[in-house]
Amino acid sequence: MKRILPFLLILAVLGAALGSAWYLTRSMPASTPANSASASPDPQGATTQPVANKGVPGAEPANTRGPANAPAQLEEFGDFQCPPCGIFHPILEQMEQEFGDKLRVTFREFPLVPAHRHALIAASAAEAAGAQGKFWEMHKMIFDHQKDWKDSFDSRPTFEGYAKEIGLDVERYKRDLESDAIAQRIFLDGKRGYSLGVKGTPTLFLNDREVPFETLIQADKLRVVIQKEIESARK
Amino acid sequence: MKKFYAITALLSLLGLADAIYLTVEHVTGQSVKCTIISGCSEVLSSPYAVVAGVPLAMIGAAAYFAVFALATLAAFGYRIAATLLMPLVVAMFLVSLWLIYLQAFVIREFCQYCLFSAAVTVGLLVVVLIARRRVRYLLP
Repeated sequence: MKRILPFLLILAVLGAALGSAWYLTRSMPASTPANSASASPDPQGATTQPVANKGVPGAEPANTRGPANAPAQLEEFGDFQCPPCGIFHPILEQMEQEFGDKLRVTFREFPLVPAHRHALIAASAAEAAGAQGKFWEMHKMIFDHQKDWKDSFDSRPTFEGYAKEIGLDVERYKRDLESDAIAQRIFLDGKRGYSLGVKGTPTLFLNDREVPFETLIQADKLRVVIQKEIESARK
Repeated sequence: MKKFYAITALLSLLGLADAIYLTVEHVTGQSVKCTIISGCSEVLSSPYAVVAGVPLAMIGAAAYFAVFALATLAAFGYRIAATLLMPLVVAMFLVSLWLIYLQAFVIREFCQYCLFSAAVTVGLLVVVLIARRRVRYLLP
């Protein structure tokens, strides 16, 4: 007995470790992207792929980039203050560069208030720039400099500086920032996200199917799923 | 010395539990993604949290399990296990130092569970050093 006891102990710990990992994975809230990729059946029917849910429309016209008939349509629900969204931003830029006109990207506002105190202001700033046709320029400025403003007390002057830098009519930008039209756009994007079951950011849909977080945060994995979508569209 | 290997084994269980929790959070995307109710971890979503496609926390869990296995065998008198334990714990200590450096100076955010893991590794190093009689003066 004494000879096998250490091995029994080791086996017991291995079993307990794997068991608790399995249990924890199952008991984590359903907001996780992992379970949309796993075999857990969804209410509509049991398929391993989540059923494409079209949801309610978001703000129109949406902030999009790329041809409307591109075989790979990406829709991101993002929050400018969310750190992983900041990490995801250059990955998405890289994908756009690599796939060119095979890709169409839509950005939906999903500011997580009150967890991120600057998120709503940042979303408004980007939308106000969008009113002057420069959404993506502002979007890039805000994300690229996320570390500069996220810990500040007041991010408005910073965003105003960006507005000047990208050549916006600053007076109009300041008016738009407070406008109901901008607030309504953010509200509609949020409503669309809610209808699609978005609970956190960044959440990414590729041709209406959610991309697991693990995939989207790594360029090498994201490239593969986009490539697959483009190839299946060609057939 | 068996007493110290038993302590090593118990300590490694703390590290194992911590690493399993981190792995599950990482794999499910929980606390990595931002949500309205919970803050998201900048550390866990950073590119440093993944090594060659494998979550770092999972590698940590494997390392703590290896420490547990070796320490248990060492406590039962397997000398080879005691010999292997030392370089493993030293390697884990060096990796922990590197990860703390990354958190402090590169990511500039700390993650509690990551710091706890580093603390456990420091504890392991101290106990293993005592067990190997390398630092006699630390003995009571």
